[in-house]
Amino acid sequence: MAKFITIGERIHCISPSIREAMATRNPEPILKRAKEQLDAGATYLDVNIGPAENDGEELMKWAVTLLQSEFDNVPLCLDTANKKAIEAGISVYNRSKGKPIVNSADAGDRIENIDLAAANDAIVIALCSAHGIAADNDERMMHCQNMLERGMSLGMEETDLWFDPLFLVVKGMQDKQMEVLEAIKMFSEMGLNTTGGLSNNSNGMPKNIRPIMDSAMIAMAMMQGMTSAIVNPCDQRLMETIKSCDVLKNNVLYADSYLDL
Amino acid sequence: MPFKNKPQTFSAAIKPVELGTGDKAITIGGENVLPLYSFDAPIENAPKVGVEISDTMLETAPARLKEFYAGCETMADMAKKAAELPGVSFICLHFESADPNGADTSADDCVAAAKAVSEAVDLPLVIMGCKNNEKDSELFNKVSDALQGKNILVLAAKEETYKAVGASAGLAFNQKVGAESSVDINLAKQLNVLMTQLGVKQDSIVMNVGNAAAGYGFEYVVSTMERVRLAALGQNDTTLQMPIMTPVAAETWGVKEAIASEADMPEWGDVEERGVDMEVVTATAVLAAGSDAVILRHPESIATVSKLISELM
Repeated sequence: MAKFITIGERIHCISPSIREAMATRNPEPILKRAKEQLDAGATYLDVNIGPAENDGEELMKWAVTLLQSEFDNVPLCLDTANKKAIEAGISVYNRSKGKPIVNSADAGDRIENIDLAAANDAIVIALCSAHGIAADNDERMMHCQNMLERGMSLGMEETDLWFDPLFLVVKGMQDKQMEVLEAIKMFSEMGLNTTGGLSNNSNGMPKNIRPIMDSAMIAMAMMQGMTSAIVNPCDQRLMETIKSCDVLKNNVLYADSYLDL
Repeated sequence: MPFKNKPQTFSAAIKPVELGTGDKAITIGGENVLPLYSFDAPIENAPKVGVEISDTMLETAPARLKEFYAGCETMADMAKKAAELPGVSFICLHFESADPNGADTSADDCVAAAKAVSEAVDLPLVIMGCKNNEKDSELFNKVSDALQGKNILVLAAKEETYKAVGASAGLAFNQKVGAESSVDINLAKQLNVLMTQLGVKQDSIVMNVGNAAAGYGFEYVVSTMERVRLAALGQNDTTLQMPIMTPVAAETWGVKEAIASEADMPEWGDVEERGVDMEVVTATAVLAAGSDAVILRHPESIATVSKLISELM
């Protein structure tokens, strides 16, 4: 089995310093966050430019070029509701370290992002929801099938759709957690790749609790066959858990220094 | 149903490492397929055969080996002879006599012998010590200094000695460094990590993951090599993408099949032939398991194994 893939989530326009850096095209704060995440072991970096309705295309091109030229063509996950901006980003993207990821499609209004990924030989994150969160795993699997068929009919490899069961917040939806984990197992048994925004589960919890909760969740998800997650790689406890699970799953050969790698 | 050949190539590859200088320099590693799977993709550098010249071996050598080196008085004389054997790509000088519990030849005398060899032959040189950590560290340091610019390989740094050997041979004198573990897959990886953290470049490291004569716990050797290769290629584990060199002769010529006399074991047949057989069988098996180079002693083994390699490539 391949090593678990982490997608670093910290280049996000919800952060004031990143938003300002994007608005003023100031490389420094963005590069700093990219470096922190890569040093901490992130494989992919998510680049969230928000809705970016006005200058999305130009902004995404700028961000992709900036990050890939500074960090040896680091693979990126292009994250915006603006489809043209994603395409613009892919047009300047270097694939030598991995295909671009389109973040994201769903089975509802955003299903056309699958078409976009297919047309551009990209990976796409496929959220198993349409209009609001899926009620149960029957619904999740229905969305999964729809999106899978759409992607394959457009010539995509099935492993290029990374299915996201949507992690749910424990505080409020505690009774749904095992169902999400079961969905991961079902995708995994179909040979599909999976990902998701891990930290949703610990939303609203005290800051000191979140790394603990996230680590427990990732360990259980990896046990179910999860292949990737969108995470904060600067969370040391979480990264140590992922590396340890990779060892236990025999995805990586153990050595005493495995946490340094 | 017709057979459809589906080549199993990997996007990862073993990092090539160059030994020696000039026309006779060799490169080991570089492949992106499983060992000897030349039907999946061309193997960039065929596995190499080196000849072991030990400074004590003639004392106990069987007749035909002794005869081959007849008239040789020094390691340099022997090296000149050995270098002419077809199929030999490098010379391994094995300073067994340096052992403080044995003849205790001084490191300086060993270095002088190694220098004489390097002046007599232009094949790449590999240096093996006497398995005494302290003495080997001293020897490797001095020989790396004396042969600067020759791009030699010292075989090898171990868990106990990697700092001293890595810092002198690898960093100060820019030679190639072996990383030796004894059939311990996790330690094999750990040593590579530690040497890299020390600053030794990845393309200056060759692994010796350990060996045993066939029949002496050999299945552990095979599974270690296979797991190392699968991690390097299949899981793109960059800490294991170093080529593997296996000293075969040093193991096989000490086992009872190779030394028990015909008087003691009449039903086993000619003792020298048995020794050659042990060497050939072990060498071919480690080549099939993942070794990029083997070190052999007997001219007949070298002829057989190098022919096998060239016919498989």
